[in-house]
Amino acid sequence: MDLVFALAINGLVWGLIIALIALGLSIIFGLLDIINVAHGDFFMVGTVAGLLVAERTGSFWLAIATVPIVGFLLGLLIERLVIRPSARLASLTIVTTFGLSMILQESVRATFGAQPRRMAAPVQGTVPLFGLDYEIYRLVAAGFAIVCLVAFFLFLNRTKLGTWIRAVRHDHETATALGIPVTRVCAFTFALGTALALIGGAIAAPITTVEFRTGVDILPFCFMAVVIGGLGNLQGTIAAAVLLAVLEGLVTSVTDPTIARIASLAVMCAVLLLRPRGLFAGATR
Amino acid sequence: MSRAVIDRCALAAVVVLLAAAPWALNALGATFWVSVLAEILIWSLLAASVNLLLGYVGLLSFGQALYFGFGMYGTALSVTHWGVGFWSALAIGVLAAVAMAAVAGALAVRLTWHYFAIITVIFSLIFYFLAMSAKPLTGGDDGLSFSAPPVFDLGGFKLTLGDPTTQYYVVFLICLACFALKALLARSPLGLAFMAIRENDRRASLIGINVYLMRWTAFVIAGALAGVGGALFAMFGRYASASYMVYHVSGEAVVWTIVGGTGTLLGPFVGTALLILFREFVSSIWESYLIGVGAIVILVVIFAPEGVVGAWMRLGRRSDGGETADAEPATIPAEAAK
Repeated sequence: MDLVFALAINGLVWGLIIALIALGLSIIFGLLDIINVAHGDFFMVGTVAGLLVAERTGSFWLAIATVPIVGFLLGLLIERLVIRPSARLASLTIVTTFGLSMILQESVRATFGAQPRRMAAPVQGTVPLFGLDYEIYRLVAAGFAIVCLVAFFLFLNRTKLGTWIRAVRHDHETATALGIPVTRVCAFTFALGTALALIGGAIAAPITTVEFRTGVDILPFCFMAVVIGGLGNLQGTIAAAVLLAVLEGLVTSVTDPTIARIASLAVMCAVLLLRPRGLFAGATR
Repeated sequence: MSRAVIDRCALAAVVVLLAAAPWALNALGATFWVSVLAEILIWSLLAASVNLLLGYVGLLSFGQALYFGFGMYGTALSVTHWGVGFWSALAIGVLAAVAMAAVAGALAVRLTWHYFAIITVIFSLIFYFLAMSAKPLTGGDDGLSFSAPPVFDLGGFKLTLGDPTTQYYVVFLICLACFALKALLARSPLGLAFMAIRENDRRASLIGINVYLMRWTAFVIAGALAGVGGALFAMFGRYASASYMVYHVSGEAVVWTIVGGTGTLLGPFVGTALLILFREFVSSIWESYLIGVGAIVILVVIFAPEGVVGAWMRLGRRSDGGETADAEPATIPAEAAK
């Protein structure tokens, strides 16, 4: 029973981090109509950047502070060079982001090396939880993820820029007519989505392996969260990410992880076919 | 000389060159390249499968590797477990792929665009994970090796894949047949119905085309093409592995198609050939050659979304104004892209 609790808590922690990454994917989809296949690799770049900054400066907290800025700048650059020129063929952006994914993975492999590495947790020690010794850092990571999620929604709902983003999501043309700089809002949103993925990576770096392939593993999970939550439905994405991760954690306690993964893929399949607007339909993008 | 004649001559030249290639390469002592050429032909079938869906019906699939994998495993498993002959093994592989595509397609073609792309990825992921966990049967990531049965065994006359040149010609003839069928399909009423759906599915349904059935048919034919590719690849490598079912392989096929030219007959072949040759030449001097591939893809989509063959045909239309021999290169319909 304790094991079940531990796996459920693990799932919750992962779910919150995944929610952060999937949120980036969801907002990029909702605004730009782009399926960003490179999003998992943004996460991977986040883990690598987090590890490198923490190694060079000796401070993990500095890494947490700088990685999102790096992500934002990277996002702006990619939006300008790759996304904007190819956006007129919405369907082909899947292909350009696939090319981007190749470039990111190979660049990291060429510079960082192909060897998977582990990062020491910045907060050592364990706390007793349901009769188990639970790593403190995982709880800290979950806390970080929650802070970021809350900050994101405050930004989206309480600031002028956030209102613009919501306006553009709602209707590009009307937003343009009202004098909102739509092109710049789109660029900003893409950069914001990228920054979310990178900070997710930096937070997750101490509890996962750091290598050039982690993005490939995490991308399907993020897509599941986005689809089950409803494409472009931000709150739904978060709920689905947490729900899925906890469920996978629970299923893992009785069978092997691959079966758990297949089960959640099957769930996603059913949602796509039966409720293509997501489980929490009603709120549309 | 009219443009259509030039196009037809170019097509004939490609076929003749491919038919004569092993002879020339062997004369030059470059036997290795005969196998590379055979590999290009095999992979071009996977690209052709993507092209049939994207270029003719307007559906972007990121999961064609699944049917490639079914063709591969159908062939490999029937040889190892039942000891069947060459042609029966190929047939079983293709049938397995077609059956899978028929089932998956019935569900997948209910969706379009983004949703369709996602569900094709999910299907391929599910079976990728299944193949990975069914290690005793599939060999998982390590794969399973087998020895290929002879192509023909008529008493004294025996033809095996052991000789690279023989193997090349077997692959070449099968691929030629597939591409010829695809060319016929593109001009048939069925192919025209596909293209009507690509251009505007609502209008197509109003003139009496059963859009769902047509999309499903295209999906099954595409599955068969990928299945032939997979079955040949299993025979070619005497090997099958779950790692060929992962969505990155499907993605590469999409890349080949787009670089070559979506919606053109030879586009998938040209794209596959260019990128595999790029890999063969560049990977030895630049380990991270995939950065180059990624850059090429992005540049092609931005500056020449019609691909190499599409650009060639556009040049032709400009100089001639006449009709071109092949199907029109696909323009992604703005309405469907929304």
